Amino acid sequence: MSHKGIGASIPRKEDERFLKGRGEYVGDLFRPGLLEVAFVRSPHAHARILGITRPIKGIVYTAADLAAVPPIRAQINLPGYRATEQPILADRKVLFVGQSVAMCLAKSRALAEDLSEEVGVDYEELPPVLDVADALRPDAPRLHEDRPDNLLSVLNAEAPIDAIAAAAPVHVTRHYTNARQAMAPLEGRAILAEWNDRADQLVVHVGHQNPHVFRAALAIALNLEERRIRIIAPDIGGGFGYKAPAYPEEIAVCWAAMKLHRPVRWIEDRFEHLTAGASAREISGTVHAHADAEGRILALDVDFAVNIGAYSFWPHTGAFEAVQAIGIIPGPYRIRHYRARSKTVLTNKPPQTPYRAVARPAACFMMELTIDAVARAVGKEPHEVRALNLVSAAEMPYASITGKLYDSGDYPASLRSALSAIDLPAWRLKQAAPRADGRAIGVGIAMYTEHTGISTNTFGTMGIALMPGYEQANARLTPDGDIEVAMGVQNHGQGMETTMAQVASEVLGIDPGRVRLLHGDTGLTPYSTGTYASRAMVMNGGAVAAACERLAERMRPLAAHLMQCAAHEVGFSGGRATGPGGATVGFGEIGRLWYKTPNELPPGVDPAGLDVTAGYRPEDDRGAFSYSTHVAVVAVDRDFGSVEILDYVVADDCGTRVNPMIVDGQVLGGTAQGIGTALYEECLFDASGQPKSVTLADYILPGPTEIPAIRLLPTETPSPKTRFGIKGVGEGGAIAPAPALLNAINDALRADGVELGAAPATPDRILAAIEIARGARAGAAP
Amino acid sequence: MKPAPFTYHRAASLEQAVALLAQGGGDTAVLSGGQSLGPMMNLRAARPSQLVDIGRLEALRGISVAEGHVRIGALSTHAAIEDGAVSGPLGRVLARVAAGIAYRAVRNAGTIGGSLAHADPAADWPAALLALDARIHLRGPGGDRAVAIDAFLAGAFETAKAADEVIVAVDVPALGPTARFGYVKFCRKPGEFAEALGAVLYDPGSAQARVVVGATGSRARRLPAAEAGLAAGLSPAAADIAALLAPVLGNPSALVLKRQTAAVHRALQEVLTDA
Amino acid sequence: MPDIRLSVNGEAIEESAEARLTLADLLRERLHLTATHLGCEQGVCGACTVLVDGVPVRSCIRFAAACDGQAVQSLEGLEHDPVMEALRAAFTRHHALQCGYCTPGMLIMARDVVLRLPDADPARIRLEMSGNLCRCTGYLGIIEAIHAVILARRG
Repeated sequence: MSHKGIGASIPRKEDERFLKGRGEYVGDLFRPGLLEVAFVRSPHAHARILGITRPIKGIVYTAADLAAVPPIRAQINLPGYRATEQPILADRKVLFVGQSVAMCLAKSRALAEDLSEEVGVDYEELPPVLDVADALRPDAPRLHEDRPDNLLSVLNAEAPIDAIAAAAPVHVTRHYTNARQAMAPLEGRAILAEWNDRADQLVVHVGHQNPHVFRAALAIALNLEERRIRIIAPDIGGGFGYKAPAYPEEIAVCWAAMKLHRPVRWIEDRFEHLTAGASAREISGTVHAHADAEGRILALDVDFAVNIGAYSFWPHTGAFEAVQAIGIIPGPYRIRHYRARSKTVLTNKPPQTPYRAVARPAACFMMELTIDAVARAVGKEPHEVRALNLVSAAEMPYASITGKLYDSGDYPASLRSALSAIDLPAWRLKQAAPRADGRAIGVGIAMYTEHTGISTNTFGTMGIALMPGYEQANARLTPDGDIEVAMGVQNHGQGMETTMAQVASEVLGIDPGRVRLLHGDTGLTPYSTGTYASRAMVMNGGAVAAACERLAERMRPLAAHLMQCAAHEVGFSGGRATGPGGATVGFGEIGRLWYKTPNELPPGVDPAGLDVTAGYRPEDDRGAFSYSTHVAVVAVDRDFGSVEILDYVVADDCGTRVNPMIVDGQVLGGTAQGIGTALYEECLFDASGQPKSVTLADYILPGPTEIPAIRLLPTETPSPKTRFGIKGVGEGGAIAPAPALLNAINDALRADGVELGAAPATPDRILAAIEIARGARAGAAP
Repeated sequence: MKPAPFTYHRAASLEQAVALLAQGGGDTAVLSGGQSLGPMMNLRAARPSQLVDIGRLEALRGISVAEGHVRIGALSTHAAIEDGAVSGPLGRVLARVAAGIAYRAVRNAGTIGGSLAHADPAADWPAALLALDARIHLRGPGGDRAVAIDAFLAGAFETAKAADEVIVAVDVPALGPTARFGYVKFCRKPGEFAEALGAVLYDPGSAQARVVVGATGSRARRLPAAEAGLAAGLSPAAADIAALLAPVLGNPSALVLKRQTAAVHRALQEVLTDA
Repeated sequence: MPDIRLSVNGEAIEESAEARLTLADLLRERLHLTATHLGCEQGVCGACTVLVDGVPVRSCIRFAAACDGQAVQSLEGLEHDPVMEALRAAFTRHHALQCGYCTPGMLIMARDVVLRLPDADPARIRLEMSGNLCRCTGYLGIIEAIHAVILARRG
């Protein structure tokens, strides 16, 4: 057997079913007597519900029916945070367009939608608050009338930086905004709930990244013991964080399935997603950077606001974005004086929830555009200012000003590698030459370091509802000599049915094709907080290794007995146990011995058998830091305001790569989403809070012509903290494209005097910036 | 979302289609390729009580060459035109326009007649066919009539077609050997509707010149002053085009004017430099 | 309720259905052929692409009643199609899928590109595939896989 363990780019085991159209998503499940759900959703951003009229016929539920179901309430131990209460179906008020007010059930979705049109809701419209400035005005309408204002939380990292800042010779101040986005997995949220009397369980098939966590949410909502809930997350058509929280609609569906004792299904459609699910990335802020004349940043002062929407989500809360941003804004740079202040603000928009890399794209955006602004101020190339400020390899491990321990890496080498691949001098020459098409060329850089595999140490101080801790996996030898591994994380595109098998292969020397992975089912797997925060490969990979090692310990005496050698002489390779003198015995023989002919077992074997659960947590679980440099080259059409990406390189390091092909896929896919953030994706609302981008014709997802052939330059700096040196990689790609592309656009339009600080850089924003700069120059002319 | 309920009739003949439309009243819709109607009905933004499917009518099919023009059956799909159903220089022009409409899977179903009847202000065919001086053949209860496209296009989603009329075919004049066509469409990505559109037909041999701006928010418009200049072989400056466009576009924003000016200017450049 | 007669993957089908039933819902909800996915129901994302009379169309915006008498092929019906077999192998080799949700529509469209445009280069493939959205892969593997199949067929 060629090496198929850690480091091998073997094809994915899960591909075959998808390539034959045999994936099993929630929408593919059918049940006799199934009822489909359509929700009656608020047409207003802010209104009081005066009354609801039900149709004469049909199954319709409102908040009055769900009186026993408590509102969603998420706690976090941060000063200045107060939880919100989100009703499962709106009762007194609606706080965003698309909020669920009633649920309608019928034999088909079409009939349920017909029924929903017959529900009359009488509203008294209230003035909406949509942006942070409006929401913070003293006389602003309050969303939650039991609160003194529209602040969800205030989180500050105070430090005495004023004297250092004042003494610095260079000062740069910039204001940045990141638009609200939808996460837009190709499959919407989806749930099918039914009561199983034999098991005495609510059995829920749901597109959820964290089945065990969702079970805990349902237990609270339905006042049901967790043993009486089984969550099965089958194939999922993309998650990206969207399918990690507990949302009201899923709870309502489960409630209805119990109430009616019938299977009930709801599939979120695209219209619902782009209205009620428009929920990520809206952060704005101001950065003051104080630097020396060379461009070394002496002090950084950041003030930002998160537009969190109407409610704080469960379990991590709406305050989590600010926590993440404050911790990582200094990025890969040696910044020793840092102050950050944040407000997380409630508005009449859908609740904002974590999207791939949570607030880190906005943090990176603010830092990386500021670096370029400093470079302009000191008259240097942006890469020179970066090189001056980057933490060096010699400084690793490096304790950041925000208390993070960057475990390993060579950030300057990453920058050099990306720059060399892009050939900056050649582009600078092309930039200076006039082009036949009149377009302006620009080069932009962005770098980040990403906190992955975050664990108890990081979450521990926050006091959220569910903290990650030790991760467990179960491994067992089947009677015919293959391996089954059960894990509590959920695989929805990350390739974990392959990579976790590769970990098992690494430990047990068995072909990954003989390792079957069980996941996404609370009935079959050990507890896990799930697949999020770039943690699954780090944490669950360690757990699978631990379980396989313990299984190997159990297999060893049996193999020794079969080969008539000592247990310590037994190894594992080529799918067989090996002994001295070239002796081998197949796993099937070991399985036969244990399961089928235990009468042949030697005395004194461990009666626990060939079925082991073991766990993992890095001894130092402060996290493993992946890092990356993105460099983009763009051509900007000054008449249309459009941007073409001419080249894009990513120098990426996520430690040991279990399957380099899959890692590349994660980086490419994340980068593609980041390009959407940078140039295309924006949930627009009118002044009354009506969403304007409600179809995929209006909300533009980048397609094959918008994403270039991104060039990857991977390196591997193993983490000294984690098993195998693995660092997380799932989210990283999405972090840097917006700043890299904005920096490139600003580089292209430098002669026009344009410096954009708002993403996405749509044609309208670019053209407007060119016009404003032209006006400013004309106004300044004598 | 799923469509609201409706009744469906497949017309067995053009006469029956017209009769069904005449009986059906205002909330009867014609189904041709359904590529615009389908999404709107799924969103329940369009909720006709009755659909008359004309998609199988032989009378609306086929492409034929006649004296001085090509007759394109209304049911001709964008994909068929893209693939060269119309031959010669005109065919190449039409193929280029067709290839830029939506996506192949949509072009396989969407029809030229459906696109004209829908009259989306950002669509390709109305602007391109205005530049090409097409005529639209209609069948109604009173019989057949033909309308020049300039008279056919009325506004955003509005045409001269009566509710009980069906588009039968489109006549497009053949192009002379010296004719050139310039077409510049700006959209956010391929397949999206246009945000700026310039279409120019110029035949130095016959001194024929038609300059059209599309994606106006209303109907596509000709720019007669630009046509006069072009007929004389003049290449107008961008500022002059902007001055012509401003009244046509009805007080456009600076951004819209800039983009539309660029689209028309580039389309003009294309016919003037493409010797 | 019109009676609809059509062929699906070579099999004659007769269904009574409301006029509003789309081809996608006929395949999925009535025939339980669930390879065809719904990603937007707005005709944009391409996940629902199937062949009708041999050409790719969006099944989410096509009414089943309008398909009467036509031949529909979904991914299930193309399992043994030689081009599809080559595409499946190339998709897995080039890591052209992650969550798998867009994959059936991608494959149907890719097959059309391979057969219709034997000279297509990567830029043309990108343009031709622009009506199929993938949220996971960044498209590179998809484009490379299709190009590899085109090159292999050129010999």
